[in-house]
Amino acid sequence: MNRAHYRYFLAFTLPALVVYVMFAALPLVNSIWYSLYDTDSGVARFVGLENYVYLFTNPTTSERFWNALTNNLEFFAIHLLVEVPLGLLLAALLTSGTLRRSTGLYRTLLFIPTTLSVVIVGFVWRLIINPLWGLVDFPLLGDERTALPTISLMSVWQYVGIPMIFLYAALLAVPNDVLEAARVEGSGAWSTFWRVKFPLIAPQFGLIAILTYIWTFNGFDLIFALNGSAPGPNYSTDILGTLFYRTFFGSSGQLSDLDLGATVASVIFLIILIVTAVYFGLLHRRLRSYEL
Amino acid sequence: MHAIRASVALVAVAAAVLTSACAPSATPVTTTGGTTAPAAAGEKVVLTLGSWRTEDLAMWEDEILPAFEKTHPNIDVKFAPTNTNEYNAAIQSQVDGGTGPDLITCRPYDVNRSWIKKGYFEKLDGKPMLDSFEPLALDPWSDDAGSRYCLPTAAVLAGFYYNKDIFAELGLQVPTTQDEFLAVLKKIKDNGKYTPLAVGSSESWQLAYNGLYSVGPVYWKGEEGRQGLIKGTKKVTDPEFVKAFEAFAAWKPYLPKGFESLKYPDMTQLFTLGKAAILPDGSWNINQVSVDGLNVGVFGPPAETAGGERYLQEMPDMAIGVNAASKNKAAAEEFLAWTATPEFLEVYVNKVPGFFSMAKQPVTYTNPLAQSFADLKTGAKLTPRLGLDRLSAGTPPFDDEVWRVLQLMLNEDLSAQKATEELQKGLASWYTPQQ
Repeated sequence: MNRAHYRYFLAFTLPALVVYVMFAALPLVNSIWYSLYDTDSGVARFVGLENYVYLFTNPTTSERFWNALTNNLEFFAIHLLVEVPLGLLLAALLTSGTLRRSTGLYRTLLFIPTTLSVVIVGFVWRLIINPLWGLVDFPLLGDERTALPTISLMSVWQYVGIPMIFLYAALLAVPNDVLEAARVEGSGAWSTFWRVKFPLIAPQFGLIAILTYIWTFNGFDLIFALNGSAPGPNYSTDILGTLFYRTFFGSSGQLSDLDLGATVASVIFLIILIVTAVYFGLLHRRLRSYEL
Repeated sequence: MHAIRASVALVAVAAAVLTSACAPSATPVTTTGGTTAPAAAGEKVVLTLGSWRTEDLAMWEDEILPAFEKTHPNIDVKFAPTNTNEYNAAIQSQVDGGTGPDLITCRPYDVNRSWIKKGYFEKLDGKPMLDSFEPLALDPWSDDAGSRYCLPTAAVLAGFYYNKDIFAELGLQVPTTQDEFLAVLKKIKDNGKYTPLAVGSSESWQLAYNGLYSVGPVYWKGEEGRQGLIKGTKKVTDPEFVKAFEAFAAWKPYLPKGFESLKYPDMTQLFTLGKAAILPDGSWNINQVSVDGLNVGVFGPPAETAGGERYLQEMPDMAIGVNAASKNKAAAEEFLAWTATPEFLEVYVNKVPGFFSMAKQPVTYTNPLAQSFADLKTGAKLTPRLGLDRLSAGTPPFDDEVWRVLQLMLNEDLSAQKATEELQKGLASWYTPQQ
């Protein structure tokens, strides 16, 4: 890259960089900074890692934190295990040719829920499974064992269009000559899919998995819309996002604690950062060799 | 593929960043506002009033503030509300940053006590406007030494709405004792046509606020029990509290099917559709329960035995205080004194049915249901919600724990004994008077 190129490069990226630093990077650094202070008395006092120690050693806050983290892992696992296979199935059906001219219609219909507001999705599903006026007699959202899986599946229903569209695009990109060669060799639809198409779209799964991870660990909106900031029953649907909100903004019976809120936010950031960094540093680099 | 990878990396970082992006309104640097500079004579003083009631904007701007400005032509008050959920954090960052409103709407109890400690408010001790209120009404906004900082605006009450037509159809009388209350519930259940109690346990806050904190004070004797917990002379495991939790648990057989996942709006709907006879609820829901022209009455929590003392939950909801860093304190106090007059209170409580004046001087309510709610105060001992004063200023917050155990009592049949033991353990883990 020569000097002139470099100057253009700077000129074009600088505006975005300024906005990014001001509204994303700085607040992030700031919030980590606040997590090292104690402001409860009205005077900011540097306390080092005291807030972190408190979060993990106080019996109540640590119990809530680990509970939220476990729930968040379950929330992520359900997304990964249900949404991705379902997305693959739908993408395979869309590209199979059996739908003929209605492919576009189905593709649009399946993607529409993704564009809906979570408040609407939550409200509609809540009505559908309401034991008083809905279809199901069992209080799915009122039982500790079923509440989180139920909400996760609502979210899967809404966002299945995302992995579907990723995999659909990847399946379309499989070169025709490869498929023709398979056909000439006498491979049926089933073995063509698993032995030819699937290995070619495999790198997509890593990408989808990491996006799902980031998205579910930043998750907040659907649970907040359905269950508020102290998501019950008995905190069984509490995830890291709602824990952060409750700590930072407070709930009716809980005082808002800005420093501890910043601490929770920083921990969530670390959880996401570490896994994302490992993925991009190791796994994603290795996957390159299998690409076309 | 490179382009995709780059954009994905960006999405990843941006998404991670978003998590923490809301945090920076916390300002660790404390500054106080500028020096006090009294406005020159004849110049119009502009005051801002911070509030969490965004829904009251039109009322303040069209009715209340013009009425004030008519008699106080040199003061111009601006109503500047913030969203309810973000109000506390917003006020804290504004006042800490020196941009707080001149008049701050005060949350009751612990939030306000922490604000008093941070020096947000001007002291009101000795001002004549305080004389319009009983000490019980002023306590939620005082510091440990008993100094007053905010002037009460309104409180909410809680009781039992009932469908008068269903009561007439089944030949039922309004219950006055706990036994009568349970007998009424049983009769409605045996009849089979209506749900006795429109209560769901999905939203646990209302199990405490409209349930336990309504039926319980009869057993723990209102202020006596509440102050006992605060001072550490009583424990949650004491028999009077266990009895109160048992009285709450006695509701379980009379709840609608699938109550575990019914939300607050479902409960209101069940009642307004005429499918349930009784709705334990707060006065703030007055408009919704009577909106369909339903024939609704209200009764207070029953006494323990015939002729026994009656109790009613009066929860202080809001007050107004003067920002200690305001540049126009004199004008702010003038406005504050005006909010203690019937001229303000009658407009306010009648424009927002469900809110009740805390002033000594009685106020007339134009909404008949609101008036019958206010009538329940006569002859009853008033007491605020049990868990919000001091007991929730640590971790775990007592109030949140009460919500949780009440939900477990209905959903998982947790016994009153175990529930109170758990609460006592949580409280004793941080609240010094209980240790």
